[in-house]
Amino acid sequence: MKPPIFDYATPASVAEAIALLARYEGEAKLLSGGQSLVPLLNMRLARPAVLVDLARIAALDWVRVADGVVAIGAMTRQRTVELAPEVQERHPLLHAGLQLIAHPQNRNQGTIGGSLAHADPAAELPALAVALDASFEAAGPEGTRTVAAADFFLTYLTTALAATEILTSVRFPMLPARTGWAIQEVARRHGDFALAGVVAVVGLALSGAISRARVVLYGVGATPVRAAAAERLLEGHVADAALLASASAQAAADLEEPLTDVHASADYRRDLARVLVGRALAEAMTRAHAA
Amino acid sequence: MTSTRRIGMTVNGERYEADVEPRTTLVDFLRGTLGLTGTHVGCEHGVCGACTVLWNGKAVRSCIMLAVQADGAELKTVEGLARGATLHPIQQAFLEKRGLQCGFCTPGLMLSIDELLARTSAPTDTEITDTIGGHLCRCTGYQAIVEAVHLAIEKLRTK
Amino acid sequence: MSSAEKAIPRSLAEIPNSRPRYIGRPTNRLEDPALLTGRTQFIDDVVLPRMLHCAILRSPHAHAKITAIDTSAAEKLAGVAAIVTGEDARRWSNPVMTVPPGWGTHCLAIDKVRFVGEPVVAVAATSRYVAEDALELITVDYEPLPAVVDARQALAVGSPLLFEENGDNVMFRKLFTWGDVDAAFTDAAHVVQRDFRWHRLGANPLETFGVISQWDEVEGTLTCRGSFQAQNHFAMSRAMVFNLPLHKVRFISHPHGGSFGGKGGARGTDITALLSRKSGGRPVKWIEDRMEYLAGGASQAWDRHYDAALALDVDGKVLGFRVRLLDDLGATAEGWGAVSAAKPLTAFTGCYAIPAAQYDLTIVATNKLPGSPYRGMGPPPHNWVLEQLMDLAARELGLDPAEIRRRNFIPPAAFPYTIASGNEYDSGNYEATLAAALAMGDYRALREKQARLRSEGRYLGIGLVTTIEPGVFDWNAYAIVGQPGTGVPEGATVAIDLFGKLTIKVGFALEGQGQYTVAAQVLADWFNVDIADVRVIPLDTLSAPPHFGPGGSRLGVAVTGAVLGAAQRLTEKLIAVAAGLFRTTPDQVELRDGRIGVKGNPEASMPFQEVAQAMLGRSDLLPPGIDPNPEATYVWTAPGRTPADDQGRAKSYLTAANACHLVVVEVDVDTAQVRIEKYWIADDCGTRLNPASVEGQTQGGVAQGVGAALLEEAVYDEDGQLRTSTFMDYLLPTIYEVPMTVKQALCTPSPFAPLGAKGCGEGAMHATPAAILCAINDALAPLGLEFREVPASPQRLWTLLRQARRDR
Repeated sequence: MKPPIFDYATPASVAEAIALLARYEGEAKLLSGGQSLVPLLNMRLARPAVLVDLARIAALDWVRVADGVVAIGAMTRQRTVELAPEVQERHPLLHAGLQLIAHPQNRNQGTIGGSLAHADPAAELPALAVALDASFEAAGPEGTRTVAAADFFLTYLTTALAATEILTSVRFPMLPARTGWAIQEVARRHGDFALAGVVAVVGLALSGAISRARVVLYGVGATPVRAAAAERLLEGHVADAALLASASAQAAADLEEPLTDVHASADYRRDLARVLVGRALAEAMTRAHAA
Repeated sequence: MTSTRRIGMTVNGERYEADVEPRTTLVDFLRGTLGLTGTHVGCEHGVCGACTVLWNGKAVRSCIMLAVQADGAELKTVEGLARGATLHPIQQAFLEKRGLQCGFCTPGLMLSIDELLARTSAPTDTEITDTIGGHLCRCTGYQAIVEAVHLAIEKLRTK
Repeated sequence: MSSAEKAIPRSLAEIPNSRPRYIGRPTNRLEDPALLTGRTQFIDDVVLPRMLHCAILRSPHAHAKITAIDTSAAEKLAGVAAIVTGEDARRWSNPVMTVPPGWGTHCLAIDKVRFVGEPVVAVAATSRYVAEDALELITVDYEPLPAVVDARQALAVGSPLLFEENGDNVMFRKLFTWGDVDAAFTDAAHVVQRDFRWHRLGANPLETFGVISQWDEVEGTLTCRGSFQAQNHFAMSRAMVFNLPLHKVRFISHPHGGSFGGKGGARGTDITALLSRKSGGRPVKWIEDRMEYLAGGASQAWDRHYDAALALDVDGKVLGFRVRLLDDLGATAEGWGAVSAAKPLTAFTGCYAIPAAQYDLTIVATNKLPGSPYRGMGPPPHNWVLEQLMDLAARELGLDPAEIRRRNFIPPAAFPYTIASGNEYDSGNYEATLAAALAMGDYRALREKQARLRSEGRYLGIGLVTTIEPGVFDWNAYAIVGQPGTGVPEGATVAIDLFGKLTIKVGFALEGQGQYTVAAQVLADWFNVDIADVRVIPLDTLSAPPHFGPGGSRLGVAVTGAVLGAAQRLTEKLIAVAAGLFRTTPDQVELRDGRIGVKGNPEASMPFQEVAQAMLGRSDLLPPGIDPNPEATYVWTAPGRTPADDQGRAKSYLTAANACHLVVVEVDVDTAQVRIEKYWIADDCGTRLNPASVEGQTQGGVAQGVGAALLEEAVYDEDGQLRTSTFMDYLLPTIYEVPMTVKQALCTPSPFAPLGAKGCGEGAMHATPAAILCAINDALAPLGLEFREVPASPQRLWTLLRQARRDR
């Protein structure tokens, strides 16, 4: 299990990195934390002509918590964000989600941007991004642009980034008051990719009714899947067991055929989605009432 | 065509420089080029944790890191734990609590614990579990490892 | 030595030390400082001059004809020194020995491949990187053949055949009958019969196999360094594979990063030997990578289909036990082949006095990786079948699981006890072990809690199993599947040097169980020295006394016997010299607490070291005709073993350790997740030579048992493709899944084994899978469900639960 031969470049700036991508015309591969890429290299399942390592671009490594947003440079290590006290305090959902990513040893090396741009549909960060209406900043030969999370994940391991574009930062809005959240998943072992997972966010009106619901599933489709119909069922109503049950049934029913693999069938994943949506909503409701 | 790249790094306080192929994994560099064979290879796809080293103080899996990525870094491997014949408190705790059997996963595991105990002198049970959770040990069933961590905390506190 | 030689001490009271400091105490391990500092030299740490690195091209097909191999492009790659194919293997080697015979191949495929991952071509190059580059330049043309992946289909007429010349895929078939089983089932008030399925899983030590082979064509020798679990056995097999006299084959075993039976490596050793020969004698290293281990190594064991039944009388007393086993061994019977299906004979009826039993054993070949040994060898699945049937019988009879076991235990007074399948259990007190576990866990309170939570819609399950761990393996247990021999010798040489320090030379490498420390504990206490004054030195196959090494829960007991025997002989030598020095006769001289002196005269004594120094440096003082070497060797083998009869009955394994496991699980019936809540173990393995080591073996066995019960499975699809080819999919248990157990030690010393110790290295693996599965079934019982598959993966549990949801 040794990587094939490739060249290696260490651009010092985003512009330099973009130029390298353009020069190699699809033969280059960006290297961020390498937690997904290097195993593929070791297995010789990835064979780039050149690796463009973004780690030397200092301008991509930062966390800023301000103005209702946790903004993070793409090359910031997941563990750095997880251990940042202001993230822990002011964005507990993001903090909780980060703790579900593999193991601390992976998060020490793995980056926020790397995970998002890799777009594994069973990963936590893409689902968090969709659930929180995160926005992505991408830089390319034509300049920079902002992409909404809802438009970012196209299909399995594929994003809206062009071949010559680089994800430079992501902004995770914080949750407003009277809002509860939960992230729940079932994996074979702690730290494994989820067989199914859900991020739930519920906001309560003063009446106690759900004013805003956000339910995003992961591990059950080609991208993070927003359970829009289930959200509509919830919004405007006071939550009770029956409502949560119908919302979770709706979320599961609306899934397109989930993946079948050696660990779980499509039907099992769908059923897990149903159970987890119900449990996550209940947990989120409890938090919302306490908030 | 193979091209090499000059890299330099500090390992256990010693400065090394070498030419490497970019494809050389960090663990192969440490073991093969530097001869620091205390770091072990268990899976080469980042799951088992046997190859864990400290990279600028942070525990990482050196089988899924390239040597070139560590250019300029400070690394610590198991060879950097003991001072001469005096075992590091973590090593001594592993010995006393029998936190190892075959000892193959142990160097990596101890470095993860080293990182944890450098960050906090009083880790929570969850933090201890999460630290060990990134390592596979096929021999011990983990119980003695947990006991070793608790003893190491005590030893470091009274040091 | 003379026939008057003393027997090996069976208790600590028999050694010449009134205050032993080490045996029976949790002594720190001698091996640990080197392991903890990264200094222990594992095989991959070894670099030899001009060494080459091997990479192996493996079959992507489960079954295919090889029509062409083109290595020409790879040969031209800079750094490539040699390439070997099946043609080289045919020219220079023989097929490996198999059990049973006739189901083996050469180390590299010739003409056809039989499983995905089978080695086809191997390259030796200046680095592993270059060797893997070379593999990509090799083309192999295959003509795919239909594959048979399911054991039952392999038996069907018209099935694809693994070995056409054998006529069918049946490697072994025999019906063993012990006692009047038919009568037992005819007379039974209750018969409980079920089928069970145990899927493939295996050892996965953290270190894979590795070897460096060097073929010297001038000397006509083969030297191999590697992580060989049983180096002597390896050397013998290689001598046969390469037509070499055994004394031309030298095996040097390095410390292993775990083994658990599943280290394997025969093919890799043979391949590197061929590459070394072809490269003109350069040393060739092969380190199996994890994906190679999972697809082509010793990573899979126990692919079993059971149909089993208990016959019981009205009181729940078991009258008979029938087991039909279809064992899927995969593509060949290499490694230890059918041995694992034979081992249950050593403890077929578990802890119970069951007078009649039957074993209908069929072993078949399929297009999957050949099966390998794994901790416990064969009994873990067998114990699960027996223990689960005991639970189901209890349910049918309205008995508590503890009570049905109590009613069937072999009583303490009945030992030594010969079980229906012929082995003799040395000693035990099963009722006491059960009682200890029940008390530790407060069994009654657990049942109350279970009832309470059930009324709240939660499904707690309590698993209670009692098992035997056969200890100190013997070849005679495997005579029925074609493995000859009775007795397994283990030798040790002990010596005193000129400065008075001690060495023990043995024929096995470190593996994790701590046997060097055990050996040193025994010798330190024998001579009453500090354990730091004892050093254990591993020797290679040509230097060490006859040996086997670790395996079959034997080495702790066996090396203790060897060291005691050697120490005893050495003491006799010292006494003969001292008798001369004290001008008396040897019968008047004794070793006591580290001094050798005249019995009853404390003035006339000296430290034993001084006697040794006189032997080495003062020939003038020695009695005439004395051997001046303060060194002695003893080769221990279990006493009283008997050859097997035609039904496989023999006194085989010397000791029978016993454990009772009590576990509480909770099944989340909505997500099909199983969580282990609590775990208690009462364990009786006789004298614990090093209690901390025993505890470690127990807890490690629990972890592997959890993996087997819930996580680990080598999955093949219908085409014979392996779908669990990495550690992302083959799931070893982590700290999150493994319970921290509460343990209690009981001690019924073995009356036959050195110092009363019983084999205990395989330990909890015998009980944990059964305990967890019984607990899951206990949880599911109120739903009217039974789950009889290992591992109890969430997907399987969910399928069962969903079916039940639909049926309701």
